[in-house]
Amino acid sequence: MRAEKKVLVGNERGIHGRIATRLAAIAASHGVRLFLGHNQETVECSSILDVLSLALTRGTVIDLMAEGPRAERALSVAAEIITAQDDACHDQPE
Amino acid sequence: MTSPNKETNGPSSIRTLRGIGVSPGIVAATVVVLKRQTLRAGWYHLPEDHIEKEVERFAGAVQAAGDELLSLREKLAGDLADALSIIDSHLLMLRDRMLVERTIGIIRYKNVNAEWALAQALSDIKERFDQIDDVYIRERFADIKHVADRVFGLLSGRVQGPLASEDQPVILVANDFSPEDTLRMQAGNVHGFLTEKGGITSHTAIVARSLGLPAVVGIDHATSLLATGDLIILDGGSGQVILAPEPAEIQRVRESNRRDRLLADELDSYIHLVSETVDGFAVRLSSNIETLRELPAVLRFGSEGIGLFRSELDYFNNRRPPNEEQLMATYQHLLATMSPYPVTIRTLDVGGDKFFNRFPGNKAWLDRERNPALGLRSIRFSLYEQDLFRRQLRALFRASVHGRLRILLPLISAPAELRQVRAIVDEVLDDLAAKGHPVAENVEIGMMVEVPSAVVMADVFAAEVDFFAIGTNDLIQYSLAIDRGNQYVAHLYEPFHPAVLRMIRQAVEAGHACNIPVSLCGEMAGDPLCAPVLMGMGLDELSMRPAIIPKVKRLLRHCRSDELRQIAQQVLQCGDCDQVRQLLARELPGLYPREYYQG
Repeated sequence: MRAEKKVLVGNERGIHGRIATRLAAIAASHGVRLFLGHNQETVECSSILDVLSLALTRGTVIDLMAEGPRAERALSVAAEIITAQDDACHDQPE
Repeated sequence: MTSPNKETNGPSSIRTLRGIGVSPGIVAATVVVLKRQTLRAGWYHLPEDHIEKEVERFAGAVQAAGDELLSLREKLAGDLADALSIIDSHLLMLRDRMLVERTIGIIRYKNVNAEWALAQALSDIKERFDQIDDVYIRERFADIKHVADRVFGLLSGRVQGPLASEDQPVILVANDFSPEDTLRMQAGNVHGFLTEKGGITSHTAIVARSLGLPAVVGIDHATSLLATGDLIILDGGSGQVILAPEPAEIQRVRESNRRDRLLADELDSYIHLVSETVDGFAVRLSSNIETLRELPAVLRFGSEGIGLFRSELDYFNNRRPPNEEQLMATYQHLLATMSPYPVTIRTLDVGGDKFFNRFPGNKAWLDRERNPALGLRSIRFSLYEQDLFRRQLRALFRASVHGRLRILLPLISAPAELRQVRAIVDEVLDDLAAKGHPVAENVEIGMMVEVPSAVVMADVFAAEVDFFAIGTNDLIQYSLAIDRGNQYVAHLYEPFHPAVLRMIRQAVEAGHACNIPVSLCGEMAGDPLCAPVLMGMGLDELSMRPAIIPKVKRLLRHCRSDELRQIAQQVLQCGDCDQVRQLLARELPGLYPREYYQG
């Protein structure tokens, strides 16, 4: 299964280390492959360095894609973390 | 960054360095300077049959580094959540394909040793990160380097032991610490940190604060100016570092540390006493809080009310903005718990950009505000999104019957804003009355004085509100044009700037001329040097973190109001902040020897 949507980066400091770390954790815990696309470049969230080097700052619109049996669910959790304006209140139990 | 502010003592010796104080506390100790050369064995060519062994050696070092990080993670207490997340991101970096696969690829295709291949992979990553415009993300390369250094160390057979092994207390000095370094220090004899890099939000700062150890960051060349074994005094509050202190100065710091420990016990006895001076002049000491979870602390430390409840959290806890009932539940709990003491609830104080990022709608354009501090925020946002504002006002008034409510309007800069708010309040009250909701008679509506225009026009404003609350953090930022989070100008953020002190005085006088009370809620309120001056200026209420209330109360109960007024008068005559500090350092210990540890 494959799901995708466009999301707006909400965090004041962009997609920084903590968010990139969480995205990797979401992909692992949902058993899906999660990708971020921006400006014709697409990276997989399993590589935190790839994600960081896209330098996604606040206000950037990115393509978020998930592949795998629980793609829809992973996509919505990831989208929420990316659009949230702060880090603190979004710890998912998974 | 070092500030240009280096005092000199004698022709050549720099005695004082100034950085950014990021975790309060004063400590005198010898330093251990960590100059960590990255261990990089040179290049050597491998024979074909050694290549897979070299790949294994590298994979083993990566595995061992991962084990170290995991075991460190396990040892950490649960309340260091920030630190845990840093370790998790380091674990991901350690296993990242850009680091691991790339290094193994280089070993295999170029027939070279692991150290050289890793250095190559690292420099490729650095090249990519150097192209990033965003400073915060670009600086994450420092984390990648910490991770790689750990692998380099293991490749060279170095076992990572504790950073400081001596028995004496030490202050660690380094260019920068990896978060793991900072964490390993918690058990030992490390009493403070000093780094060349970093700002108030750096990892060192976050971890130092959670460990309760003093730390100063942003002192250029600290690792060359200091040598292991040098004795220094480090003040994690002011950011000041004294090199080669006199024995008397060291003695004073150690004595004050000892008394701090005794004081902590003694303070408990002040919790239930009235907050007034020896001659019966009362100042209300209240708390700044943002969640209901803090209420037990508020009660435990003897707070006489809530001077500032930051109402933002309810708005960011859920997927949608809160409804009236949710807000009312919070306010009702707050008022009922604190009754009969007053509870000051500040209406939503956020930037529009933050709000719409949280609840994206068709207003995402606000993301591009060039100057959020001067943008659509606080009361301006409430008057722009009036439905949200009405909802909060309705909840406030409906809760008002459960205690003593004071509504505080943030960032008021023009009388027209107050009139707009009044009109909305009247509509809300009419509507509540029509629907049969009871509302308390004695709800007070006041404003934050935190913009210079509000100070200049304080006499006009005072006639239109029931109280003033001076917000010094923003008032200082707006009047001195300083962003405290910016390491290049943070040293200019100065509560004792005479302009700030005069503005506070002006607001107090204007308020009292109209018979309205004036409170102050900013970090100044809980500062033992500032608090007596503020009391002397006639503030009716000081609002601070609950835990420091007993300390300020103890101070107040040893003061005389006429002496405080005299000191405040003298302070207001000073032409610059250094004069103010000298004056206070001279006058306060003389008047209150026990409070300033010089008796």
